[in-house]
Amino acid sequence: MLARVAAGSDAELVARCRAGDAAAWNELVERFSRYVYAICTQGFRLPEHDAEDIFQDVFTRVYTHLDGLRDDDAFRPWLAQLTRRACIDHLRAGARESPVEDPEPPDLDDTLSKLDEALTVHEAMATMPDNCRDILDRFFARDESYRTIGEALDLPAGTIASRISRCLDKLKARLEETGAANRREDG
Amino acid sequence: MTAYPHDELGRLIAALPPAPAGWVTAAQELPAARATIEGIVTRAVADAAYRERVLADLESALAEAGVEPTPPILEELRARFRSG
Repeated sequence: MLARVAAGSDAELVARCRAGDAAAWNELVERFSRYVYAICTQGFRLPEHDAEDIFQDVFTRVYTHLDGLRDDDAFRPWLAQLTRRACIDHLRAGARESPVEDPEPPDLDDTLSKLDEALTVHEAMATMPDNCRDILDRFFARDESYRTIGEALDLPAGTIASRISRCLDKLKARLEETGAANRREDG
Repeated sequence: MTAYPHDELGRLIAALPPAPAGWVTAAQELPAARATIEGIVTRAVADAAYRERVLADLESALAEAGVEPTPPILEELRARFRSG
């Protein structure tokens, strides 16, 4: 697993949520919504309507059990475990008539490891200037075309590819600054 | 340094597409929803007719109070009435 790019920031956010800071809660949901969504839909391959129930259930549990989290720096693995357990409970409940011994897909650990790495990359992206963050997210995560991106950001479509390339260089440098890339090669 | 070639970075960014906006908003509204639940329960304790109306249609009670009646919120409201 990669080291965290923004060590400590989750702990600060969790502490603010625990203190009743509404903006912090919004930020926490925003920061981790993709991760929870991906665990449900990619890790467990759940259909959207099932994933939605679990998504809401997970954030409800986070909100109600945040006081019980012993180590705020461990929020991310705790959230992953909560989501994993919620998915398993859901699959077991749905398979009451023909119980399955192990509802976890065989490649689950690999998928979760990849998602964890992806979250680290997204966290590094979050520390980049808006223009880079936006263009990378639109092209890769939202699968928007050069034309759509150009229209949305008021940029000539012919410059999008080079801008993406430059932003990827910056992102790579940012990950290398934090040592995440080195640990990745080692690990 | 080859740990993060561009195509790999692209794959990792793409691995986390945004969750549907409505899901995110509903989760962000949880604290307000819980405060609303408290208000509904408190009022139901004091007003038997209101309690009957709420118990007959939890979803409408929440919607009237401006809360998205997601399954976890509905379950929480049910639990509050069961325990109270």
